[in-house]
Amino acid sequence: MTQNVIFTKQAFGIKSLRDLLLKQNTSLILLLIFLIIARFLSPHFFSAQNLLNILWGVSALGIVALGQTMLLITGNFDMSVAYVVGLSGITAVLSQIAGVGLLTSVILGLSVGVLVGLFNGLIVVFTKANAFLITLGSSILVYSINLILTKSKTWSVHIEGFLTLGRGKVLDIHYSVLIFLILAVLLFIFLKKTVTGKYFYVIGLNKRVAQLTGIAANKIILGAYVLCGLTAALAGLIMTSRTGSTVANAGVGMDFDSLIAAVLGGTSLFGGRGNTLFTVVGILILGVLNNILILINFPYEAQQIAKGFVFLVVVWADGVSRKKRI
Amino acid sequence: MFDIKNIYLFIKKPVVILLLFLLIFFSVCAKPYFLNPLNIHNLLRQISFDVPLALAMMTVLIVGGIDLSVGSVLSMSAALTIGLQDKGMHVGVIAALCFGVIVGFINGIIVTRGGVVPFIATLGTMTLIRGALLLYTKQQSIAGSNEAFTFWGNGSLGYFPIPFILVVILSVILFCFLKYTRTGRNLYAVGGNFDCAYLAGIKVDKTKIIAFIISGFLASFSGVLLASRLNSSTVHIGLDSNMWAIAAAIIGGASMTGGKGNVLATFIGVFTLGVLVNGMNLMRVLTYYQIGIKALALIVIVVFDAILIINMSKKKKRVIIADESL
Repeated sequence: MTQNVIFTKQAFGIKSLRDLLLKQNTSLILLLIFLIIARFLSPHFFSAQNLLNILWGVSALGIVALGQTMLLITGNFDMSVAYVVGLSGITAVLSQIAGVGLLTSVILGLSVGVLVGLFNGLIVVFTKANAFLITLGSSILVYSINLILTKSKTWSVHIEGFLTLGRGKVLDIHYSVLIFLILAVLLFIFLKKTVTGKYFYVIGLNKRVAQLTGIAANKIILGAYVLCGLTAALAGLIMTSRTGSTVANAGVGMDFDSLIAAVLGGTSLFGGRGNTLFTVVGILILGVLNNILILINFPYEAQQIAKGFVFLVVVWADGVSRKKRI
Repeated sequence: MFDIKNIYLFIKKPVVILLLFLLIFFSVCAKPYFLNPLNIHNLLRQISFDVPLALAMMTVLIVGGIDLSVGSVLSMSAALTIGLQDKGMHVGVIAALCFGVIVGFINGIIVTRGGVVPFIATLGTMTLIRGALLLYTKQQSIAGSNEAFTFWGNGSLGYFPIPFILVVILSVILFCFLKYTRTGRNLYAVGGNFDCAYLAGIKVDKTKIIAFIISGFLASFSGVLLASRLNSSTVHIGLDSNMWAIAAAIIGGASMTGGKGNVLATFIGVFTLGVLVNGMNLMRVLTYYQIGIKALALIVIVVFDAILIINMSKKKKRVIIADESL
């Protein structure tokens, strides 16, 4: 609906907040504010153990959000990540129960993510259908596959070695945290230092122009979908190995949360803006916010309200700043 | 309206063909049960609760938006209707309907003033409302205390169920509003070509807000009806209603690009999906598979819609950049 922007009158917004959010480093400021609040609420907040726990808590969601960010930069969405998280864990666990080795089960788990990503990407690229609706449909489709596979039961991990992925530590830092941070840095380097990475932004800003300049936009979007599916599957494996068991709706809510994290990190929902390092900051904001709400004894149900509210404020600011630029 | 040519054009619509196909298919496959008058009576009752929801989605689709909050508005309205029942039957119903209107208004404000894409804005309000619902009900189901209230969901007038009669009346009102009033026609103008509508002097922002308000009202109406049918309220109702409503509206001819939508066709769209579910139940299809089949139906419908748009734009030599169809 970009054509609307030309004629709509000047939007009103919370001025100071808007100016704050206009700049890319807003997410850092937001994180800083939350950190200071948390410091005042509890002296134990800044203990190394608590900080590491926060990181560990958000690492699986963070990996999903990294893939989502890559996709958002090209101007696409994937709402199916939530149930892909479940599907990959289920595939790995069920294949282990069927007698497959550790490595093969991990590869199988990752490959279902790739398959769902391919499915989404092919439909979106070739039919130019609305990405949101297609991935919403495929999300429910994957959920039904999850239900069929698990028969609505909880399945436990069969091979002990699989548990190290989510629970193992090196120097007090969990593997999943390391995977998350390394992946973020690698994707950041990919986006900033390689030509293909820069194409992601061009496609997000204007797909038509990108195609006219000879960029294989469809292939790159397809690749982004596969990457998103892959990261979701990886997060699913990590979550499964952390909890030691899996259920059909293991990752429920992650679709929305990954969007929130990316947006909190300054990624534009219209494509062309954002990077994975700031998504890490966005994820940290979510983690710290969650920690604060627990510290002040907020009811569990209200956490969703807080998240929704923060999300709405940020997208409002994003929309207003976009109007202003045009 | 009752011209032979019009009737011919009506039968040629994809939704009517699909409906006829499903009717014949299930009449044969679920033979003794499907065409039973009792089953048809049940079918009419089952679809009654989805009709207002699909009409809500259609109204917003007409102005080129989308409303994902309808599902959570439905469940919150149902909770309010039952929860406030001890203060009197009318209090609950009025509070629920007011709640829908207010949410619609807020959605409209966020979309028009904040410049947020409708589906992102309503995704945010969806989370907010679901959080509020969890907080309000404390994740427990509420039982109704007023037996007289169940008449509106469970009663029958002759052969026809009361809720069906109510939604027919509602549909007729909406049909007249969209067809014969200036505001109603403005909805189509705004969705069809936003800039033209603006230049023609239509108050575009106001029109969009009206569409969202109608959508909120219809969604809460659906919630009230459902509350009356169940005489209770749980947090689980309305979870996949968004998807369902979108699917019904789109097979009813509404389009993601806006400017299209027809009350009668949407009604038939809901009926078609109702026949699909009813038929699958009669054929004893497992619930897990039903979820998958529904999701596949949504994907196929959205893809079909997208391909239709591409073909149309080729015919008219008009370039529609699919990315802007959000």
